[in-house]
Amino acid sequence: MSKAVLSISGLHASVEGKEILKGVDLQVAQGEIHALMGPNGSGKSTLAYTLMGHPKYMVTGGSVSFDGHDLLPLTADARARLGLFLCFQYPTAIPGVSTVNFLRAALRAQEKEMPAREFLNRLSTEMKELKIDESFRSRYINDGFSGGEKKRMEILQLAMLRPKLAILDETDSGLDVDALRTVADGVMRLCGPDMGVLVITHYPRILEHLHPDRVHVLHDGRVVTSGGADLARQIEREGYEPILGTAAAATA
Amino acid sequence: MTIPLADSPVGTLGQEVAAARADASPAWLAARRRIAWDAYEALPMPSSQRDEDWRRTDISALHPERFTPIDRVDAAVVDAMRVQRDAAAPTAAFVIDAPVAQPIEGADTLHAQGIIVTTLAEAATVHAELVQRAFSSVRADESKFVALWNALWRGGVFVYVPRGVEALVPVWIAHPAGGDGHAVFPSTVVVLDEGAALTVIDAYASASGPAALLSDAMVILSVGRDARLDYNTVQQWGEGVWHVGLQRTVLDANAKLRFMGVTLGARLQKVWWEVLLEGVGSEADILGICFGDGTQHFDHQSLQAHIGPETRSNLLLKVAVRDRARSVYGGMIDVAPTAVHADGYVANRNLLLSQGAKADSIPRLEIRANDVKCGHGATAGHVDADQRFYLMARGVPPEEASALIVRGFMDDVLDRIPHRGFAELAGTLLDAEIAGGSVTGVAAETS
Repeated sequence: MSKAVLSISGLHASVEGKEILKGVDLQVAQGEIHALMGPNGSGKSTLAYTLMGHPKYMVTGGSVSFDGHDLLPLTADARARLGLFLCFQYPTAIPGVSTVNFLRAALRAQEKEMPAREFLNRLSTEMKELKIDESFRSRYINDGFSGGEKKRMEILQLAMLRPKLAILDETDSGLDVDALRTVADGVMRLCGPDMGVLVITHYPRILEHLHPDRVHVLHDGRVVTSGGADLARQIEREGYEPILGTAAAATA
Repeated sequence: MTIPLADSPVGTLGQEVAAARADASPAWLAARRRIAWDAYEALPMPSSQRDEDWRRTDISALHPERFTPIDRVDAAVVDAMRVQRDAAAPTAAFVIDAPVAQPIEGADTLHAQGIIVTTLAEAATVHAELVQRAFSSVRADESKFVALWNALWRGGVFVYVPRGVEALVPVWIAHPAGGDGHAVFPSTVVVLDEGAALTVIDAYASASGPAALLSDAMVILSVGRDARLDYNTVQQWGEGVWHVGLQRTVLDANAKLRFMGVTLGARLQKVWWEVLLEGVGSEADILGICFGDGTQHFDHQSLQAHIGPETRSNLLLKVAVRDRARSVYGGMIDVAPTAVHADGYVANRNLLLSQGAKADSIPRLEIRANDVKCGHGATAGHVDADQRFYLMARGVPPEEASALIVRGFMDDVLDRIPHRGFAELAGTLLDAEIAGGSVTGVAAETS
C-alpha cells in the first residue's frame, strides 16, 4: 500500500452534544478508491462533514492527517486548499452567484486560476461530458436545480478543481440509472494516481461503476470491518445484518 | 477646484433667500414659491415622536436653517461623476444640475431628435406649460421638505421627449454637491409624451468625508400614453449628508416604468418612491438595492397607487446593513375602487451583516377594489451559514465567501436591470462598499 493521503485515527465527533463518531480509524492511500458503507444513522455523513470542517461538528478526540498536514485545526477553506473536496449530499443554492463566478472564485482561492479562454473551454468540455446544458453557466449555483442537476454540478466542480481526495457523500442518492452512470463515469474519468475517492453510500449500486479498492463498514460511529470489493457484493446479497451481527459479537 | 457663481445668494436658508428665488422666477412659479415658503414656515419639522411616518427616523439633529444654499459647482465631484458616465454609458448626454446653467455635454443626438434637455429653471420660462403639467402631480405645500424644495430649488434638469420619439441615447443627470454646510435642491423633471421612450440615469454624489450637507431632492416623472421610461438612480452622498427626497411618477394609459434605485451614501436618507398608475394598463417595475454600514440610516417609503384598471406593479427592494447601520422600509400598495384587475406586489428583503445592524420592514396593502391580485413579503436574516460553508468547502476564505453571498443577494436584482452599463456601475460601487469599510461618496480631489 502506497503512502496514505488520508489517515484517520480514533476520531470522535459530536453534533449538538451528541456523540456520533466514536473512534473512527481509516486510511486512504494516494490515488485509491475507498467505499464507506453502513446503514442509516451509522455516522457516514457526520464523518464527511467532520473531515471537511463543518463548524456544527465538534471533534472531541482523535486525529486526522491529510497529505502530511494535521487537518483538524484548519478551517474548511484551508482544508479545501490542501486538496480535500466534499461532494455534498445536499448542495446549497446561492442565489445571485452564477456557476461561472462560483467556479472562478473557487479556482482563484485554490490558486488554480487559468486564463479566461482556457477556463471557458475546459468548462465547456466538462459540462459536455457530464451532460450539463450550457445555460447552467450563467444560472445561479444550485438555484432551482433538480436533485440530479445538483449532483452533476458537484462532479463538474470536482472536475474543475481536481482535488487530491474527493469525498462523495451519498452522491448516488436520488439519481436514476442514467444519471448515476453519468456521475459515476465522471468520477472514474477523474480518479487516478493524483486523485483518490472516498465514496460514502448505503447502496452498493454505485460501486459497480466505481470498482473500489477497499470497502469499509461504519456502524455506530466506528469502522467495524473492512475488506475488498467482495464485501460490497456480500452486503448487496445479504444486507448489513450478518456483518453487524458478527461485529457486534466481536466487540461484545 | 470650485467655480464660484456670479449671483450667489447670501445667508442661510431663510426668508431673504426665498424672496430672492421668487423674484427671479416667472410669475406662475413665483406664486408657487411664495405659497411653498409660507407652508415651509408654517409646518413643523417632522418628529419621530409625533409623526407616524417618521417614527423610526429621527432628524432632531437636522437644522435646515443652519445650511447655506450652495453657490458653486464642485468640479472635482463633477469630474468623478463624468468618469462614471464614461464607463457606464459613454454615449449618454451628460447634464449637470447646478445653481446656474452648465454646458450640456453630448446632447446633439437628442436635440436633433427634437428632445428637450435643459435646465429646469429655463424650462419653467420657455416651456412653462410642460413644467406646470409635471408640477401638477406635486402640491407645493404637501410636506415640510417638499415645500422647502418648491421654495428654493434652482438650476435643475428638465427633459421632454416628444410624441412617438424614442431617444437614441440615454440622459445622464449629475447632481453634485461640495463644500461644507451647504444645502442642495437636486431637481429632475422628465416628461415623456405619447409613445416616447427614454433611459435616464440620475446620479447624486459628493466627495467622501464628513462634510455636513443637506440634500432636499425632487424627481417628477410623467410618462405619457404608451410611453416607456427606464429610470435608474444612484445615491452616493458622503458620510455627512442628510438626504430627503420625493420621487413621483405618473403613468398614463399603457405607459411603462422600469425604476432602479441604488442607495449607498449619506448619513441619513429618507426617500419616497411613488408611482401613480393612473392610466389603464400601465405598468411599473420598481427595483432597489441599498447597502449601509457605519451608523448610516436609510428610510425608503414606497407607494404603488393603482388608480386605472388592469394596472400592474411589482416592487423589490434588497437591503444589506453592516456595523450599526439601520434600514427602515415602509411600502404601500393602494388600490383605488377604479383599479379593477389590478396586480401589485411589494417585497423587501434584508440581509443583516452584523449583530448591531437593524432592518424594519412594514409593507401594507390598502385594497378598495374587487377582483385584484395583490401581495407583499418581507424578510430579514443573516448570511446563511450553509451557503458560507459551501463556498468555504471550495477553498473560498470566509470573508470572501460572505462578500460573494452579499453580492449574490444584490445581483439577483442587478441582473434584472435593462441598462447593463448602469448595472455594472452599481456592481462596482457595491463591491467597493462591501470590501472597503464605511467609506461612501465619490473619490474626488477637493480643493
